[in-house]
Amino acid sequence: MDNSFFNPFADTGEGVGGSPGIQGSLIHIRIQQRNGRKTLTTVQGVDPKYDFKKIVKAAKKEFACNGTVVEHPEYGEVIQLQGDQREHIRSLLIKVGIATNEQIKVHGF
Amino acid sequence: MADEDLLPFDPTMKKKKKKKKTGFDLDAAMGEDSGSAADGLPTVTQPPAEEEEEEVPEPQQSQNPDDFSMDFTSMKKKKKKKKAFELDELEEELPKTTETETIPSTAVESQFNVEDLDFTKKKKKKKKPLNIDGGGEDGQEDEEQIGDDAGSHTAWVGSDRDYTYDELLTRVFDIMREKNPDMIAGEKKKFVMRPPQVLRVGTRKTSFANFADICRLLHRQPKHVLAFLLAELGTSGSVDGNNQLIIRGKYTQKQIENVLRRYIKEYVTCHTCRSRDTLLQKDTRLFFLQCETCGSRCSVASIKTGFQAVTGKRAAIRAKTA
Repeated sequence: MDNSFFNPFADTGEGVGGSPGIQGSLIHIRIQQRNGRKTLTTVQGVDPKYDFKKIVKAAKKEFACNGTVVEHPEYGEVIQLQGDQREHIRSLLIKVGIATNEQIKVHGF
Repeated sequence: MADEDLLPFDPTMKKKKKKKKTGFDLDAAMGEDSGSAADGLPTVTQPPAEEEEEEVPEPQQSQNPDDFSMDFTSMKKKKKKKKAFELDELEEELPKTTETETIPSTAVESQFNVEDLDFTKKKKKKKKPLNIDGGGEDGQEDEEQIGDDAGSHTAWVGSDRDYTYDELLTRVFDIMREKNPDMIAGEKKKFVMRPPQVLRVGTRKTSFANFADICRLLHRQPKHVLAFLLAELGTSGSVDGNNQLIIRGKYTQKQIENVLRRYIKEYVTCHTCRSRDTLLQKDTRLFFLQCETCGSRCSVASIKTGFQAVTGKRAAIRAKTA
């Protein structure tokens, strides 16, 4: 919305097909409830030019949780982390410069 | 942008926190709460009232209820008054009571009259979250400000000196406010919404009992709200027979409030003027938010569920697909 240049696809989230993370697209951080009070955090739409395995490795180490990269036909590679890591992963992505604050959309409650 | 959007909600938050901590701030969900509070206070004060009425003979009764309805803030006065009555009654028996009653009651009434002035103000403050456009007082404040500012304007109007940008700016805004006082109310308009009633159904399901009410309040189709809620929460759910929403998973009222607030921010408030008087129209597969106040029309993001991780039993899914 406050992009200096007008990108008609800026708010559509991910690109069409298996090419998520086009320039200016949003990174969606979501949370899902599992059984009991367990939760799962998914990060979708990270630019594929980054090495997802490395991101996961760093995240796992920093948040002391497990995590994985799953391939999705529509959304491309998606990072999954155990537990509610929404704020953590958000600050991590901003800190290492993968995304800016405006590019990240945190979903869930 | 996000912060700016949140701005209109913040004042209510602050105000609410002053009054009460339980608020569903955004929507000033206090509608009910404050109403109940207003009801609640008098009920608190009532017991002494009844005692009084019992103690005091007939004529007083006709006056008491009126006083009562006015005075929930003045507990202290009440007590004083009561003491006075008791004293009077202790001192004198029946014959004189009529006189004593009339005298103190008039005194009390005069007190009340004075108090009423204060009180209406207080009442307004209290009721503010209740009123949809609770701009009453704010409007007054603004007017006062206008008056002050106007003084400063005339200062430079008369003289020959250069006016500063700030002065011009305030002048423009003052004129705007003078010309259309509605706008002030519009600016200060707060969301009034009931808090969502969220109950646990069993261990792993949550019921959102007044879902239909809230959809009606927001003037949005339940289908749309439902889609948003489920997409945001990343679960499944459905509306059952009594129009309550059953969501899978455990959610607290606070969490639902957060999601609803986000919904309102995105799909109810006008992105330009923040008015909630908007229509959501579907046009060539895109949703457009048409503002009834400022006439702006902008597209809103479509609701997307996005990636859903497998949280259930994989074997069950495999059995289903295969």
